[in-house]
Amino acid sequence: MLEGLGRADAIVARTDADRLPARIAKLPVIGTHMRPNEEAVLAQRPDLVLQMAGRKEASLPVEALRKRGVRVAVFRAESFAELFSVIRRVGTLTGSAPQAEDMVRGMEARLAALDARMARAKARPRVFYEVRSPNLLAAGQAGLVAEIIRRAGGVNCVEDAAKFAHLSEEEVIRLEPEAYIIQRGPMNPAPLPLGKRPRLRTIPAAASGRAWFVDEQKYARPGPQSVDAAEELAGLLHPELKPQEITPAKGAKHKDRK
Amino acid sequence: MAAQARTEHDAGREKGRAAGAATLALAVLACALLASVVLACGLGSFPATPGETLRALLQAAGLHAGAPVDPSLAVVVVDIRLARVVLAGITGASLAIAGAAFQGVLRNPLADAFTLGVSGGAAFGASLAILSGIAGGAALAGDARALPACALAGALAALALVLGLSRAGGGPLSNLRRETLVLAGIVVSTFLSALISLLKSLDEESVSSIVFWIMGSFQGRGFEHAALAWPYMLLGAGIVFWRAGELDVLSLGETQARMLGLDAGRSRLWLLFGASLLSGAAVAVSGVIGFVGLVVPHLVRLALGAGHRRLLPASALLGALLLIWSDVLARSVLPRGAELPVGVVTALVGGPFFCLLLARRGSGGGRA
Repeated sequence: MLEGLGRADAIVARTDADRLPARIAKLPVIGTHMRPNEEAVLAQRPDLVLQMAGRKEASLPVEALRKRGVRVAVFRAESFAELFSVIRRVGTLTGSAPQAEDMVRGMEARLAALDARMARAKARPRVFYEVRSPNLLAAGQAGLVAEIIRRAGGVNCVEDAAKFAHLSEEEVIRLEPEAYIIQRGPMNPAPLPLGKRPRLRTIPAAASGRAWFVDEQKYARPGPQSVDAAEELAGLLHPELKPQEITPAKGAKHKDRK
Repeated sequence: MAAQARTEHDAGREKGRAAGAATLALAVLACALLASVVLACGLGSFPATPGETLRALLQAAGLHAGAPVDPSLAVVVVDIRLARVVLAGITGASLAIAGAAFQGVLRNPLADAFTLGVSGGAAFGASLAILSGIAGGAALAGDARALPACALAGALAALALVLGLSRAGGGPLSNLRRETLVLAGIVVSTFLSALISLLKSLDEESVSSIVFWIMGSFQGRGFEHAALAWPYMLLGAGIVFWRAGELDVLSLGETQARMLGLDAGRSRLWLLFGASLLSGAAVAVSGVIGFVGLVVPHLVRLALGAGHRRLLPASALLGALLLIWSDVLARSVLPRGAELPVGVVTALVGGPFFCLLLARRGSGGGRA
């Protein structure tokens, strides 16, 4: 996000899992995103600490930092609307409000174009988004992934209202997903392709071959790339609905941002 | 003279009645097990009527002549539910037999696979496999065999370590004191659980896999897991059953065993090895499931007495029953197909039950 705002140079440290963009990979690590190390953060003498809201264990050390007078901002982005407000706030905090505004406008425009395209979709396939397997975890109705599915012209077949839903293989069969999305990343390091899961062989997605691996970093971590995720998924679910105009201007603009 | 004859006669009748009761109990348990297998295949979040369930099972057995069953239903009933029921059954039986054997060998009513560090060893082996990525996520999905192999190796290594520690003071392997064994087991167990915690804190990304695996569950398991485990289970059960009579003698105590001409040390090593194979194989495919090995033999002893020739088969059947139904509970209590770890269910059921046993024993009411 800061990279997109042109402020990646201001980053002085990262968590263990942050490896993108490439230039921050060499920065000091202050611990993991679940257990940041208070001392390691202080050692960097930061002007500002940014954190995505997560588990309680993760927020305790950051609360301690706040008490020590470090400026701390904790964000939550479970939808595109929340993501946009996060980008604007990060822009303000890092003195790059105009760039943030530009970034949000660009993302909104691409989403609007995507919505218009998907409005022409004849059918909205039932999508299953696998967060983790084994010990199957799926994306529920809350959270950004659910909105990505909706924007991409699909229907999340998991009806659980929470962000994540635990469920059994039997339940997957009952849900009859027409598309099976498997995220690959830290949460799901070595998932099997759907074709190698004999117990799921009868679900419609297996019969039609509409099963794909996607990048966890792109789909499950809110950021500028979340729009890329929605566009990519739309292309997978609705190959018949090609984007009408891929204007070079837009593509170039996008490249600038990255 | 006559009186004595009558007593002997009565004793004989008593014995015959006990044997009859045991046979009856075994028959009842076997019937209950068969019924449970069919019933458990009918329960779950995917809608299936009893008729459909039965047809799917018959079709899988090649005995169904009518129109083929809906393929999704067949997968759910046979590949998912029946596979789990079979795995839960053989795991429950293994844990119960192993528990009975550990309790008999160590003459300790609290002994089970945890006491000698065997479960801990298997859990450590599996954690190591998950962390090092040999197993990855694919292992549980049946693609790799590394995880169960590591767990089994860990179980046997833990047993070897406990035996080695026990004889550290010198003396032959066949002449170990029970107290030393238990102490060494607890030390190894505690040490291993610390090592598992260490592994977990070294790699946060693997924590959920390790925790999920250690809690014990049949989720996502299939026939391939049963296929992986049963040879070891069969071997372990074979060893324990073969030496069932020696278990009776051993539980009389060291001196009596020697007086009866039993090489107690050797017999004990064999039995420990068999029981470790059983529990290691069980942990290898289903994670750590507590209380089955502890509670089931106690229950059977209450009903049928302590003779191991009856205790072992009855424990096996009851263990299978208990775990099949615990798994049914685990997969059907939560809405929308969410699952509890079966280890949690057995602990929740087993904990209060064990308290009850202790209370009865405290009030002098029970034989346990």
